[in-house]
Amino acid sequence: MSDMENAHPTATAPDAGAQATVSTTSSIVFALVGSGGDGVVLLGELLMRMAAHRGLYGMMVQSYGPQIRGGESAVVLRLAQEETRYEGEQCDLLLCFRLADMARFRGSIQLASDAVVVVEASEPGELPDWVGRSSRPAVRYPFAKIEDGQEVPGEPKNMYALGVIMRSLGWQPELAHWALEQRFGSRPDALARNRAAFDCAYAADTGVGSLRHLSGHGVPLHVETGNEAIARGAMDAGLRFFAGYPITPSSEVMETLIEELPARGGRVVQAEDEIASMGMVIGASFGGVPAMTATSGPGISLMTEMMGLSSMAELPTIIVDCQRAGPATGMPSRTEQSDLYHSIYGGHGDFPRAVLGVFDVVHGREVMHKAMHLAERYQLPVMVLSDAYIAQRRQIVDSPIDPQDHPRRRFWSPADDPKRFSLNAEHGIGPFRRPGTPGGEYLASGISHTAEGAPTSDTSIHHAMNAKRFAKLGALAAETTDWYRTLGDPAARRGIIAWGSTIGVLEEWLETHPDHRVFLPEILHPFPLAALARWRQGLEWTAVLEMSFQGQLHRHLAGITDMTHVRSLARSGGVPLTPGEVDRMIHALPLVGGR
Amino acid sequence: MQAKDYRSSLTPVWCTGCGDFGALKALTQALADCEVQPEKLGVISGIGCSSRLPGYLKAYSFNSIHGRALPIASGLKLSRPDLTVVAVGGDGDGFSIGLGHLPHTIRRDVKMTYAVLDNGIYGLTKGQASPTTETEVKIQQGLAGVDERPLNPILLVLSAGCGFVARSHAGNMPHLRTMFREALRYPGFAFVHVLAACATYQRKNYAEEIYNRCDLLGDDHDPTSFEHATLAALSDRFKLGVLYRRPVAEAPAVAAQGTGRAGIWPPHRASEIALETAGEVEE
Repeated sequence: MSDMENAHPTATAPDAGAQATVSTTSSIVFALVGSGGDGVVLLGELLMRMAAHRGLYGMMVQSYGPQIRGGESAVVLRLAQEETRYEGEQCDLLLCFRLADMARFRGSIQLASDAVVVVEASEPGELPDWVGRSSRPAVRYPFAKIEDGQEVPGEPKNMYALGVIMRSLGWQPELAHWALEQRFGSRPDALARNRAAFDCAYAADTGVGSLRHLSGHGVPLHVETGNEAIARGAMDAGLRFFAGYPITPSSEVMETLIEELPARGGRVVQAEDEIASMGMVIGASFGGVPAMTATSGPGISLMTEMMGLSSMAELPTIIVDCQRAGPATGMPSRTEQSDLYHSIYGGHGDFPRAVLGVFDVVHGREVMHKAMHLAERYQLPVMVLSDAYIAQRRQIVDSPIDPQDHPRRRFWSPADDPKRFSLNAEHGIGPFRRPGTPGGEYLASGISHTAEGAPTSDTSIHHAMNAKRFAKLGALAAETTDWYRTLGDPAARRGIIAWGSTIGVLEEWLETHPDHRVFLPEILHPFPLAALARWRQGLEWTAVLEMSFQGQLHRHLAGITDMTHVRSLARSGGVPLTPGEVDRMIHALPLVGGR
Repeated sequence: MQAKDYRSSLTPVWCTGCGDFGALKALTQALADCEVQPEKLGVISGIGCSSRLPGYLKAYSFNSIHGRALPIASGLKLSRPDLTVVAVGGDGDGFSIGLGHLPHTIRRDVKMTYAVLDNGIYGLTKGQASPTTETEVKIQQGLAGVDERPLNPILLVLSAGCGFVARSHAGNMPHLRTMFREALRYPGFAFVHVLAACATYQRKNYAEEIYNRCDLLGDDHDPTSFEHATLAALSDRFKLGVLYRRPVAEAPAVAAQGTGRAGIWPPHRASEIALETAGEVEE
């Protein structure tokens, strides 16, 4: 009997025996596929909310079709007993509202050998072969209401799906009632409608097999996106001014700050473009106020002249870049690690700046504290490189703690050196002149200037001032020598250098490749070279893994350290790397000795 | 504080006869008139001859990059409302490369004075045409853009909803001082168009010629009237004075044209009624 013949308004249970199979593996991966408007994102959000409430960890990524609304929409969600930075390669539950929508997710969704599969009953056809086969047959479920062969819009399909999944998980309906109350509490009609649909689906035995049991910590955890973590981490670190311009995938940084920064005494401006955003940040910083902007590739390009100004005028700024596939417009909602060159080298003239990389949502908060410290301490621009994969994901994390103590700029007083840009200042850092301080009036400028701030075209002063500004970078490098992470067995003979969001897939991959170890810089510029050299001792084979067509990190390192025989594992961005792909990339390399 | 107390120790690099000297002096006089403390004064410029002006003031000054004085001044004022903020620059800086920021700063109504010292030429780069260079000058000097008509800055800022619009001539320092003073006192974004002659790349006697094309606004000009302001902006003479000063209570838009209180967009029926009803209840 084919699945087509089972397409009845009442769901059938082709394999009741599967319900007995309950494994104790520590994570469950869900793939929820539909069209825009089917509500798979809301469904995923509710599952995350409930899991966090139970004390489970998890991670959710979403993907939209080319249209803003109306195209394909999918969520991949993993619930786990340990903190997780990778959504998983093989799904334990696939729920699909429209088979046609599967096509776009080719390569990113694979069935586990005993996956639970639920497909809309009225859909003709079968799941595509590339998704793989489960030992449990697909269940057909009538999520949609069909009249005269047409789907009637407005049916709460995602609520029916919630009922089906909750049963499959063995979670009590009260938990869903709580989650719906949280989500729709302010809209009683929507709450009642959605709850009724959920109850209806939960009550019926659908024949959908059970998923393995995951026990949580019992302590409710916190759901946060990468962009929210960046915004909140910055506020905790003392941010009081933000200016930005909407751009995928960074807009939620601004949206979070619009909601939360005013209550903490700060101000947010949506500027007319990224040049103005960065200009306002520089203006606020000139006023002594900790300030930042957030954007993506095209915005970074527009801000580049201003980055040089921030460095030249010695004004602390933070620029968050949620990297997306470039160049030009590229693929706005797709991830990539290809803004590294621009961050380290972009801009005319020689100027110091620091570049930090974000590992995941948890690190988002921590890295902003560090970025604020570097900017305020060294009075220069600090780039924070996130990416679409981190920015748009939801992660369940331990409840964050406000560090209370936040970095503070050292302000000038009349007892200090009368020269704002004194060449004698320790590490080249002169106390900052905060407007409002009598006697501290000075000229800040992007034009070459003397120690007093007067414009000059004296070439020896120009050189001395470059040396002064780069002295700050030297001091910064000395402070950040241990800003990196390592993974795996320190005695392993094979090593991978990577950065940013690839930490997640590498953690997963190392579980099956214990003969490898990994080095991940938290600060990309200035690079922690001494630590890298120590870590490389004893390696017989080394590669750099990254999502950039040119292999930007590999090439950058080749300019600052010996990279002879070090391989490049590089591909363009798009979908994040998977463990299987890391294997394939390594096997595709020629078998030549290395170190 | 005296006017001279607002000067820094730097000597201006401007050419002899440059209109920017007058603007600098009138600005220091107006700052003294308004009793602004130098440590509470932020002066931001872009790039150009006139953008050197902040360096000649005793203030928290910032000579930034080309065209970006307004965003930087906005960031300063919005995060430090306790400061008096002045943005200054030329016609190339403000009306060419930086023009995009002008209507948005007006929409935000950031409280600052924006002085454009307009000499109708790019002086620092040695005499190219700017958005306000007259067509005849371009023909005579063989400059690019003969087919491009000059911009009308006054009409531009009025249409964007600017609440304070004034014009003066750098050769008439008492008048310019008054305009700066009025602008500094206006509780919103104040635009001052200063006709400042270039002594090097404009024709000889340019300052006088331009001044001869100026008229002081008469007593019959009502600065609260958007219609009067628009007519003055459309005149083929340079009208000097406060062309427009919108009463603070009025909506930041072309209210006087009868398009409603909500702004340039005609108000939604329901909100208009709600506004009227609210007014009735209060009264």
